Amino acid sequence: MTFQSSHALKAVMLATFAYFLVTLHANGDIVKFVNPKYNLLSQSAACLFFFLCAIQVFRIIGKSTHVCHHGCNHRSPRPKVIISYAVLFFPLITGFLLPPQTLGAAIAAKKGTVLTSSSSSAAHEGLQAARKEMNQAEYDQALERMEKEPVIHLKENVFEPYFTRISTEPQKYEGRKVKMSGFVYKEDGFADNQLALTRFLITHCVADAGSIGFLTELEDAPSIEQDTWLEVEGTIELTHYDGAEMPMLKIVSWKEIDEPKEPYVYPVYIKIM
Amino acid sequence: MNHTTWTQLLPFIFILFIVVCFAVLMGTDVISLQSMTSQMPPSLLEMNTIFLSIFIEAVPFVLIGVLIAGFIQMFISEDHVEKWMPKNRVAAVFMSCVIGACFPACECGIVPIVRKLVSKGVPIYAGVGFLLTGPLINPIVIFSTYMAFGNDLKIAALRMGVGFAAALIIALLVSLFFKKNQLKGQTGTMEIHEHTQPASFFKRIWHMLGHAIDEFFDMGKYLIIGAFFAAFVQTYVAAQTLLQAGEGWVSSTLVMMGLAYLLSLCSEADAFIGASFRNLFPTSSILAFLIYGPMIDLKNTVMLVSVFQLKFVFSLIFFITLTVFACTSALVWL
Repeated sequence: MTFQSSHALKAVMLATFAYFLVTLHANGDIVKFVNPKYNLLSQSAACLFFFLCAIQVFRIIGKSTHVCHHGCNHRSPRPKVIISYAVLFFPLITGFLLPPQTLGAAIAAKKGTVLTSSSSSAAHEGLQAARKEMNQAEYDQALERMEKEPVIHLKENVFEPYFTRISTEPQKYEGRKVKMSGFVYKEDGFADNQLALTRFLITHCVADAGSIGFLTELEDAPSIEQDTWLEVEGTIELTHYDGAEMPMLKIVSWKEIDEPKEPYVYPVYIKIM
Repeated sequence: MNHTTWTQLLPFIFILFIVVCFAVLMGTDVISLQSMTSQMPPSLLEMNTIFLSIFIEAVPFVLIGVLIAGFIQMFISEDHVEKWMPKNRVAAVFMSCVIGACFPACECGIVPIVRKLVSKGVPIYAGVGFLLTGPLINPIVIFSTYMAFGNDLKIAALRMGVGFAAALIIALLVSLFFKKNQLKGQTGTMEIHEHTQPASFFKRIWHMLGHAIDEFFDMGKYLIIGAFFAAFVQTYVAAQTLLQAGEGWVSSTLVMMGLAYLLSLCSEADAFIGASFRNLFPTSSILAFLIYGPMIDLKNTVMLVSVFQLKFVFSLIFFITLTVFACTSALVWL
């Protein structure tokens, strides 16, 4: 029986990884990183970390069965050991110390597809028949509501399908009233009174975020800064931008809001089963 | 103090360090911490968020990967491999690609599995076939591609078909140029000494878990470095400038492949991003993006370099680039 300190360190680290994931779930920050649809994955990972940590605890005081082969730390030169543990600690330290940052206009500019992705194209047609994490009936209902309601409200849970429909067939929705919220994004090609009201669409995690948004027109645009969150109501009009026909919101009323609790929107899948 | 005492002491210093960190964290006034971080440039915080999100997204798959690697270590012997692996090179490549296609894995989870398989005597070209089709062809990827391209089976089918063909060609190319196992710092016949005598089932499970833990600590750091690079590129390199370079199918295919490499997206999640470029680029370029990304990317390269010899990894990247480009370009002429 020997106390194996490198095993002890590994146990502490496994526990810390598990604790980190649990904290994220407990305080709700996990939505700033990963699509809530995949919460089960990171929860399972937390459980696995706890489980492996328990196993590791037994290895600390176990007899030295550890046969030294590839990459054994105690045979490696010292700086290498320090670096490898430091690297493993790095996400834990930044994860605990730094607050998660909601992606904003700067990232949207880097991605460069805010308006291009929404430009109408025949290829988009199939999209309307698609998806939802709701079941088919709920989804049909939501779409029916979209057709009938006096104001199309792009709520978080239907943002993506509504958005796709409007940008696919802007002609059909011309003149309709729309209510939505999003953050302000401006790029060089915009006129003074234009800005894009944008949301990030997250498939799996924020690394695969794509921005979707409507071009909007309002008088006060020059005085509104990038990244301001707005709730607006406006009418859909047709316009041309970068040679493509696309919908544009003529803003009737707007107000500044705080960043919503759920800043991102997610693609909607229809449950097949 | 001699070398060994130092290395034994080191973990204690680290544990002490963590405890101090936590103590400081608990003791620190939350508001002062916030004012401290609010002085940081937001881009740094954004990079950190993307970095952590890639890590959180990938870590479940890596855990599954190391558990499977541990399983292979304890339950599959060189004799099994010898018995099951076809002697014929082409047959072996084909078999590995088919097994990879049936095996749902993610590109970061599969590296420890392939390393273990190759160290157990699986020929390197068969390992590569498995490495390439594993993340690319599986039900989740097919489904998300189908969804992202508006319930259109064409792109999803092309992704699978062309991807499979490309994987076969790449694995065959590897079989022509590389004979040895290409693993780093190994002479080929190691790790046999451990379990020559059959152990009880329970004992094997125990050892499997131990191996999985060691493997996680081995692989985890490369995942973290890779995720960090990818997050850096996403935050500070403008895809827009890249996109402007893409005119015509040759350059647009190259641009999309470059993008797939740098973004390091999970193969389950890249379809929507690919779909958003539909209006900018021809289908063949989008397809190159969808096939190239799961096969090789920045995050994956860091992990591969940690396992295989540098020369082999670079040759592999070269083969993949060439083959994927040729295969998707072939579509233009069809």
